[in-house]
Amino acid sequence: MTSNLNLRHAIYWALFAGLLFAMPYLVSKGDLRTMIFALYVGIFAMSWDFLSGRTGYISFGHPFLIGIGAYATAILSYRFDVPVMFSIPLAVIITMVASTMFILPALRIKGSYFALVTLAFMELMYQLVQVIRPDLTGGTRGISGVETITRGAVNGFYLAAFLAFCVALFLWLLTRTRLGAAQSAIGMDEEALKGSGINATKLKLFTFVVSAAVAGLGGAFYVHYLGSIAPRAIFDINFVFTIIVAALLGGAGTITGPLFGAFFLTFLLEYLRPWLPGAERYLIYGGVALVLYMYQPKGMYAIAAKLRAGVMK
Amino acid sequence: MLQIIIQGLLLSGLYALIAVGFTLIFSVGRVLNLAYGAYLMLGGYAFFYVSQTLGMPKLLGVVAAVAVGVIAGLMKHRFIVKPLKGDMVPVEIATLILAVVLQSAVVLMFGDSSKILHSIIPGVVQVGTVSVPYSNVFAMIVSWTVLIALYLFIRKTHLGRAMQAVSMDQKGAAISGVNPDHVNMMVWGISGGLGALGGVFFASYTQLYPAMWVAPLIIAVAVVIVGGIGSIIGTLIVAHIIGFMEVMTTSLIAPELRGVFTMALIIIVLVVSPKGLFGREEIH
Amino acid sequence: MTILALDGLVKRFGGLTATNQFSADVTEGESLGLIGPNGAGKTTIFSLIMGEHRLNEGAIRLKGEAIQDLPTHARIQRGVARTYQVPRPFAEMTVAENIRVGLTPDSIMAMIFGSSNAAEELALAEAVGFEAADLDRLPNELSMGDLRKLELARTLATGAKVVLLDEVFAGLTVGEIAQISELINEKRRSGMTFVIVSHDLRSLEPLIDRAVAMTAGSVIAEGAYADVIADKQVRDSYLGA
Repeated sequence: MTSNLNLRHAIYWALFAGLLFAMPYLVSKGDLRTMIFALYVGIFAMSWDFLSGRTGYISFGHPFLIGIGAYATAILSYRFDVPVMFSIPLAVIITMVASTMFILPALRIKGSYFALVTLAFMELMYQLVQVIRPDLTGGTRGISGVETITRGAVNGFYLAAFLAFCVALFLWLLTRTRLGAAQSAIGMDEEALKGSGINATKLKLFTFVVSAAVAGLGGAFYVHYLGSIAPRAIFDINFVFTIIVAALLGGAGTITGPLFGAFFLTFLLEYLRPWLPGAERYLIYGGVALVLYMYQPKGMYAIAAKLRAGVMK
Repeated sequence: MLQIIIQGLLLSGLYALIAVGFTLIFSVGRVLNLAYGAYLMLGGYAFFYVSQTLGMPKLLGVVAAVAVGVIAGLMKHRFIVKPLKGDMVPVEIATLILAVVLQSAVVLMFGDSSKILHSIIPGVVQVGTVSVPYSNVFAMIVSWTVLIALYLFIRKTHLGRAMQAVSMDQKGAAISGVNPDHVNMMVWGISGGLGALGGVFFASYTQLYPAMWVAPLIIAVAVVIVGGIGSIIGTLIVAHIIGFMEVMTTSLIAPELRGVFTMALIIIVLVVSPKGLFGREEIH
Repeated sequence: MTILALDGLVKRFGGLTATNQFSADVTEGESLGLIGPNGAGKTTIFSLIMGEHRLNEGAIRLKGEAIQDLPTHARIQRGVARTYQVPRPFAEMTVAENIRVGLTPDSIMAMIFGSSNAAEELALAEAVGFEAADLDRLPNELSMGDLRKLELARTLATGAKVVLLDEVFAGLTVGEIAQISELINEKRRSGMTFVIVSHDLRSLEPLIDRAVAMTAGSVIAEGAYADVIADKQVRDSYLGA
């Protein structure tokens, strides 16, 4: 595990941590709030990337996992007065268990069908949350007045940055091991991976559950940052779009790329606000995403690598 | 009871029309077009613009909607599917992005709020105790006509058989003198037209709003997964199962749950038979 | 001693019976040639042994243990592995990384906490005729011969005792055929068991101890290569009679 890590990587990570630490001294409160959103999107995008970017099993329903974590902690803390320090870990465990229950039967499904099932899961969740036990979920309106755990932009930023940093480092370290190689082998040729004596099903299950845990963790903290939750804000195709595009623009399969993709997209969206205040920002946003994607499906990571190679020559 | 039967038949006919355009692409082009729902949205808005904003005849509105759909389909093929060489995953992701882009384009032009379409044909017909809008009857008749015409087109014409050939084996078809590129382009066009037509009817059933593309996409997906890829008969049968299930849920249980069973059906069928109900083990 | 026993295998695809009561025993350390015309069902036998297709009837025993109900990866862990007619390298991985996947143990914990063994990767690469400089090359830079060598290395990396080679000479130059033949013979001398499918009978002959001829999913002759190939039924099957 340590053999392919070197000093250069350690320096990059230290610089990244230092930059995050210094951020509140460098930018305005407004930008800091935008960054908090970017960091959470980044966590979701990394979770998506760990599953879809590496194994090629595309999840079009990632908010399904995020939503389970967010709703679990919101219900536990708001309805049952469970302290946040217990409700969040519980929410992560609930997300992992629920995702396992859903994914076990879906493990045999491949390709486009897998993407469809995840999309169906999300829509199913959207409808069920509104009608089943609305006394708990708050129905269509959701729950507001969920306990927030940070006060002010600076504290909110440090919490989100700490989470995003840990998630990024954890997932990145995992993908540097032979596990990461086996995961990308699933994306390249799953049959050949089985033909190398590896239980692809077990590997997919593990990958999915880790991805779910990260999504549930992000969702749980996010709801305690926002203080409210509503079905349409979570189980939304535009939310799927934001997560996937952040991951793809940053560079699928790279883990850290999606975090930067999330920053790029969030700030693009933010800077468009003065000119386009409403949902039409997604037109520019989506247009940029589509053109970049068509030009370089491997994302900015690959573009950066190409540029660097060009400069070196 | 009578109401359920009538509403079920009307809704199912429409669902079959919507699903058939989707299954064509899945079968011939071998990709999942996640922007398929956007054809419905484009069609609905094109109809709205021509017949209600410009005040032109309604029939012209329908023609304009279909034309917009065909053009959208052809452009999608030319600018997205071809450059990505029909690779499944990139096309799926690109079409998802495109759907969101189109949705926001519609918001920019028509605003966020939902619009109510005027009936294509005003008035209602009384069947027993049930009153049925003429528009919905018209939608069903057109849907069935289009489906039968499409069925005959695929079975009886040279072009239709070329489509069949490409859907079975792209390379084999190419060897026997069919240009898969042309066939694909045509199918994208037809699919766009069908989707847009379905959109006009779907919007008059419900409402016209920018996010209206998601629900019919899910229905199309469900029909295709359960009914088998590329089978028009299978599409018809499953469209009726889903249509009737929705109508029964709405009138007997709760309107909010109408979509739940459709989703559950997709999940159950895929879990029981991962390649869809009509999937087969291939011969090597 | 029989290491791999195939007993009355039947595989039907819809109405087509691709394998019909196929039986054969492979002795430990031998090299068995599986021959037959196009469409005889040779590759299907390999797929059945590896569990890529599910068996309709019959039994497959490896070292006496029935393996027909095990998933593919579990069969490989028990010591049987195959190559494909069309090589299937992991396209975005280098030669070394491809071999690394073959060496990777089937345990999440071991994958995360263990480390790869560069010396072992190099040894396997050299065993099939690569040089140290080839380790960083990508599959799209390799010739057909190199791709077959890579697949062989990855198969050997799984630790298989019985190796099934499918059309191992297809698309190779004369020089590459000689190189791969030499490699197979070397492995035979070290006691590895092979089942080899090839259309190129002339190249196949020096690599096998025994031949089994099949057509339409069934065995029609078995024995020494010269006897099998002289068999009238076998000759007729190749002529399509």
